[in-house]
Amino acid sequence: MRNLYLFFLKYKDHFIFLFFVFSSFTLLLQNDNTNTIIIRGKFSDKLSIISSPFAWMRSMSQLEQETKILREKNIQLTLRIESMSNANEEHKSLLKLLELKEDSDLELIAANVVNSGSSSNLSSITLDVGENHGIKVDQAVLVPDGIIGKTIVVGKNSSIVQIINDVNFRLSVRILPSGNAGILRYLENDICEIRELQKNAKISIGDNVVTSGFSQIYPKNLPVGEIIEVLNQRGSFQKVAKVRIKSRIGSLLHAFIILNDIEID
Amino acid sequence: MIKQIYIGLGAFLLQFILVDILSIKMIRPDFLVIYIFYFTLLNAKYKGIILGFIIGLLSDLTGVGSYFGLTSLTLSLTAYLTGFLNGKYERLLPYFFHSIWVSILLLHFYIITYVRFQILYESSTLDFLFKFIFTFGYTMMFFVVIQFFFPVKDASRAQIS
Repeated sequence: MRNLYLFFLKYKDHFIFLFFVFSSFTLLLQNDNTNTIIIRGKFSDKLSIISSPFAWMRSMSQLEQETKILREKNIQLTLRIESMSNANEEHKSLLKLLELKEDSDLELIAANVVNSGSSSNLSSITLDVGENHGIKVDQAVLVPDGIIGKTIVVGKNSSIVQIINDVNFRLSVRILPSGNAGILRYLENDICEIRELQKNAKISIGDNVVTSGFSQIYPKNLPVGEIIEVLNQRGSFQKVAKVRIKSRIGSLLHAFIILNDIEID
Repeated sequence: MIKQIYIGLGAFLLQFILVDILSIKMIRPDFLVIYIFYFTLLNAKYKGIILGFIIGLLSDLTGVGSYFGLTSLTLSLTAYLTGFLNGKYERLLPYFFHSIWVSILLLHFYIITYVRFQILYESSTLDFLFKFIFTFGYTMMFFVVIQFFFPVKDASRAQIS
């Protein structure tokens, strides 16, 4: 017995090593054992008390960087929403243009607005169609909401359009349902006035204003706007009506040009 | 001895708390093997084996290692092999001595890497080798730093109490 003890003592390193290797292998083979998993879970819970303050410190140090990334992401998403919103508006606008082209008997050619003009004394836009597309000078330009101008200069592939808000622009119009005709000119902020109306003309607020047809440029009955005010000045032989035009002149992206030759009624 | 136990506790906490900060592409330094290596050189072999097993077990329990029992096995083995170097620096050629302890650490990391990345070993031996070398090399960087303050040859000369 003593010899056995001495033998063990002499080779204790090897015996201890073999014992722990055996124990380690036993544990390795018990990895999927439910009890092992439970013990590991409980031990991990206890140790999380120690590690949680360090984890908190780590998360705090990452917070600033995370906030920066989130800010960038926020801006990116805002821009994307803005872009999608614009695309949606453009889509709606193009659908309206398509409807107009399909419903109208007029021969229309679609064009994109490529420039809003920089002349100080002429309100104009530039369209990306010209002679090569059959465009001539003095052709009516419109959008689904109504007339917006006429071509005044035509190049090979582009045209300049004098638009309705130009100070020298005049348009012969008719007020419906009364049928009174007058001359329309632009005032400000999408408001125009119609002069040369008969004193006894029956005009009400909300009446529609359309083109009269007394022109070689504009076909009759194209929408222009609606009456918002009627001025009956004392001592004057005429009435003056104020009209709000429907077309949003400041944000034009697309337009149509009427190619038909117009005959005066 | 008590001082060394405290150092061991420190090494364990270092491994448990700070190892994630030092992690590079999921490769982490192993401070426990460094500690067990020095502890065994400074103390008796059997003490190193017992401490290696206990610390390995604690490490596995904390989830630092994904295989329960693997760290106990490798640290016990490292302690057992390192024990043969006790007081051997004077008797062996220096390069042979250094080659042996480097080989012991290589074996430790090879076993760990092999068990943890068996699938990688089967699918791409080259990737496995890179993983093994990086894991070993990363810990060796810390080992080399410690070498400046406390060389292995000095630890090996220490007499067993």
